[in-house]
Amino acid sequence: MRRALLLVLLLLAGCSQRYSAPGLGDQEDPALSGNGRLLVSVVDRGGRRSLRLVERSTGRELPLPGLRQGQPHRSPSLSWTGRYLAFIRQRGTRPEAVLLDRLSGRLQPLALPNDRLPERLSLAPDGQQLAVQVLRRGQLDLELFRLPGLEPDLPAGAPLP
Amino acid sequence: MRLAWTLLGLVLLSGCQGLRLQPLMGVNTRLSTPGDDRSPSMARQGVVWIAPGPAGQHQVRWFDLASGMGGPLPGLNRPDAQPISVSVDAKGSRIALVRSLDGRTELLLYNRNLASVRPLMLVPAGVPARVALSADGQQLAVQVSRGGRWEVEVMRVP
Repeated sequence: MRRALLLVLLLLAGCSQRYSAPGLGDQEDPALSGNGRLLVSVVDRGGRRSLRLVERSTGRELPLPGLRQGQPHRSPSLSWTGRYLAFIRQRGTRPEAVLLDRLSGRLQPLALPNDRLPERLSLAPDGQQLAVQVLRRGQLDLELFRLPGLEPDLPAGAPLP
Repeated sequence: MRLAWTLLGLVLLSGCQGLRLQPLMGVNTRLSTPGDDRSPSMARQGVVWIAPGPAGQHQVRWFDLASGMGGPLPGLNRPDAQPISVSVDAKGSRIALVRSLDGRTELLLYNRNLASVRPLMLVPAGVPARVALSADGQQLAVQVSRGGRWEVEVMRVP
């Protein structure tokens, strides 16, 4: 009976993968692309909390151009293929929501209405909408936004909108 | 010449402002609740999040963008549990949840179509914190505390 339990535990352990690497401290705030091919998380690199994007099949870390500044990074979120990466970075004393288009390399600040500070983000799988936990007048609210002018990011074979 | 400089200035300024988000006005007023709303996660046609419940405790909520209405999540919310982190797949059919119950922190997978809750085991044992489902609902990433360190692991959830 005990052996059977051990076998089940071993099988379950085999079902999960961990993504540590030498020189990295704590890993937090994970997010996956649409089919789980890519994993993004916030890692501690010598006291700087930065995004780390990994291709899971190979374990290879993928480059994130233009993200060397603005730490600590927080709350990353990926679109379906991983083309778009939304996250929160620090700009001076204020947090700022930004969107990286990995296809073009363009990094754009996402301008929230004036009196709101971003606390957490979630990008819709097609990259057309964004849910934001905002801090406003001392209260945390949920607000949804449309991202105008972005090409939809769809799974392979999906019909165009 | 002055016009050219003015135009150049305007172009540069607009570039600095970045992408101007457009609020979903009709939806945001319906999502608004007194108290703190946390942990949003977007599906293709909806959103889940942790919102204040009627008796002051927090609960997981689902809002359907196609119908413009909230939807029930039977069997998911418990008055004695404190939800910590929530994530939904693209179809809005699977919801992953980390919650605190009876002094324990547990990781669950909820099927909205079947109204069923399935606990997910961490091996070796650890304390889950934040959870994220892939949009296809087949993979789950979770932030786990083990031995005083935060780790990230990914598991298949067939």
